[in-house]
Amino acid sequence: MLRPSSTPQAAVENLGDKIRLQAWGNAYASLDNKAQFTESDFEHDLTGYHLSLRTYATLESFEVRPLHASNNEAEVQLRIHWSSVVGPFTDTRNLRVVRNGDRWNVDWPLVKRSVVPPQVIAVNYLRWDVIYRGSGDDWGVQDVEAPHVRIVDMHPVQRAEGVVVLGELLNEDVVPAYVSVRATLQSKNGSPIASEGSFDRISHILLPKQVTPFLINFPDANLSDVGSIRMEPMSSLVSASADPVIEIENQQLNPAPGASVTGQLVNQSGQVVNIAHVLETLYDKTGQVVWVADQYTDRALLPQTPVPFDIHIPEDLARKVSSERTIASTYSVGGFQ
Amino acid sequence: MRRRFAFLIFCIAFATMQRARAEGGSMSLSPPGTVKAGNAFAIQTTGSGQAVLYIVGLGQVIGRDVQLGETTFFPAGVLYNAGHYVAILVAGSNTDNTAFDVVPASRPASLSFLARPSRLSVGLHDGISGCVYIFDAYHNLITAPTSVSFKLSNPSGAAQERAVVAHDGVAWTEVDSTAKEGIDKFKAQVDEVSSTRVVEQVPGDPCGLKMSATQSGKDIELATTPVRDCSGNAVPDGTIVTFTETYGGDQSTVDVPLKRGIAQVEMPAHDGATISVASGVVMGNEIHWR
Amino acid sequence: MMTSIGSMLVIFSVLVVPVAGWAEQAAVRVEPSNLHGPRTLQQETATAVIRDYLQSWQSLSSALEQNRAELLDQDFVGTAKDKLTGTMHEQAALGIHTRYRDRAHDLQIVFYSPDGLSIQLIDNVEYDEQIFEHDKALTMQRVHARYVVVLTPTETRWRVRIFQAEIE
Repeated sequence: MLRPSSTPQAAVENLGDKIRLQAWGNAYASLDNKAQFTESDFEHDLTGYHLSLRTYATLESFEVRPLHASNNEAEVQLRIHWSSVVGPFTDTRNLRVVRNGDRWNVDWPLVKRSVVPPQVIAVNYLRWDVIYRGSGDDWGVQDVEAPHVRIVDMHPVQRAEGVVVLGELLNEDVVPAYVSVRATLQSKNGSPIASEGSFDRISHILLPKQVTPFLINFPDANLSDVGSIRMEPMSSLVSASADPVIEIENQQLNPAPGASVTGQLVNQSGQVVNIAHVLETLYDKTGQVVWVADQYTDRALLPQTPVPFDIHIPEDLARKVSSERTIASTYSVGGFQ
Repeated sequence: MRRRFAFLIFCIAFATMQRARAEGGSMSLSPPGTVKAGNAFAIQTTGSGQAVLYIVGLGQVIGRDVQLGETTFFPAGVLYNAGHYVAILVAGSNTDNTAFDVVPASRPASLSFLARPSRLSVGLHDGISGCVYIFDAYHNLITAPTSVSFKLSNPSGAAQERAVVAHDGVAWTEVDSTAKEGIDKFKAQVDEVSSTRVVEQVPGDPCGLKMSATQSGKDIELATTPVRDCSGNAVPDGTIVTFTETYGGDQSTVDVPLKRGIAQVEMPAHDGATISVASGVVMGNEIHWR
Repeated sequence: MMTSIGSMLVIFSVLVVPVAGWAEQAAVRVEPSNLHGPRTLQQETATAVIRDYLQSWQSLSSALEQNRAELLDQDFVGTAKDKLTGTMHEQAALGIHTRYRDRAHDLQIVFYSPDGLSIQLIDNVEYDEQIFEHDKALTMQRVHARYVVVLTPTETRWRVRIFQAEIE
């Protein structure tokens, strides 16, 4: 139910409701600065100019927070909470709201479409294709060896929500691997307590000699009940490409309060990366993994165009963190990764 | 105990009855003690009249109408699965039976060669294993001691050979991977029958990973020297090399695949930056940029 | 050497004590492994292999008695399955069926292939074999045989791939 835009806050709330309803025309028409861009620009600012997480995200909720106001102008923060297949993400915009008679209208701060200069980027990185063995019981017939992978670090930690198993996995082979890790907590008498697999806090495709962190959650488990942990790294051959290469620039470890790792992803290839998954491995002074955090970028990565990331670190762990390592796995429509 | 005693009585009674039947009908049969798989053989019967001859085992079952008193011939290729068989002669309510065995043919016809792995690093002691099961033409396991030769050869002609005697139909061996990368052939041979597998020997971890840095405008151009393993084999293209630049609390990281033997990247030039290079768990040199 | 019941009566009188009733389980003796391969055999693996092999006798018995090849699917694979399936079709075509009851197994694992993809065991087995033409019992044998068995791992269990009786 839309309210009259008789206050700056009401104007922003109305805009938020129209965005939720995907009533792009109405939302655009309500803007004060609509002459500066088209309705399509406005829509794509919110849903992505290229296929990305935003394209399929739905607006879950929004918050409106007045920052300051005068008789004719106000600044209001709009925090839009989107929900996507890989979890929620938040879009924060500080909006200028201007008075027009008895109504207030929002001045939308459009994030303009990045334009990559026309150019040719030569890409000649490797690509691996796999021909698998056919079905049937041809015992003794040789198959292609699964990639050799190795857990190079692993330890459990007790958290309020349960036991977490952290570690790193190395593809020590010369071929790409699709990897996952399964951990089974065993009691002191050797009986299994629970078994879980790494799911989203791991990079599932590893190129030769690439390392991924992993984090496996055991909700409600208690470390004092655990006698041992059985780790099962799994790998299979997978077709893959060494392109695109993603550079991670200007990484910064920001201390508590609000501890985070920030930086920028730069797509060094010529193709658009639709979704990037940034995995942050956090180490203590001894080099042991203390946490694995992650974030998906909600916007596509255009060639040579930096896209920022900001990954939250749990407050209680922030002071233990001495160094970090960032990797990014990517997904491109029609691509391999 | 009572059940076991009853069973014993049942067995004795059944056997006695069978023998009485056979004697009453005056018929019998005499198969050979053993038959080589797939060979022709004959079963002589005594008596008169018509009967049915069954040959029953876990591997095969055959039935024939026979004239008692005559010899029934089974041509080559009729009974071929090795195992224990019972020949039973049935004429009305009369039966007689005798057990015999079919043994594998002595000539090997096929091998199941399990060779692992199909891909491994160079220079691993006993890194390659081969295991071979030997079969005759009817897929019976040839269990008699049999000589098997294993040979791992690389394109340059160098070879490692092993001679092994198979026991109960199986022989195995282990050989080292060589110091040189390449596609090797691993062959198992028994008489004229052989089976070949391909074993790809790939370079090991990078050894002495080293990079250099040069100024390129606002950036530093970083490049490794050709990356090789400790035996001098070129590490394959596509292998990930990680460059990390640390400066004033900031860090930049790039995972770069090797291309034409080297990894190259441009990173921002910052005075006082420390740049390191690594591949997997192998660390390379560090550069302090001034 | 296999021995038919006709000439085994004396032996039977000696062996009668351990012989169990039809419904009872076979006596199983497992010799310590005598491996001639390089791979170490874990006790858990050995236990699983023996368990699955003994289970295969149950499947074999039911399948050959009912001439139902699908009963082999769980425990047999490859050559062993193909041969037993062929036997069943031949039995069905001739109107006969067979009843196998294992009485005693004396087992020893003798080979574990380096790749972990095959295990060979020797079973000095004693079993009863009863042959029926339709519903008429034609003969009953008590058989002693040395079986050479090769099992290979599948997703959930070890399956018999080679199953071959030898002259003792």
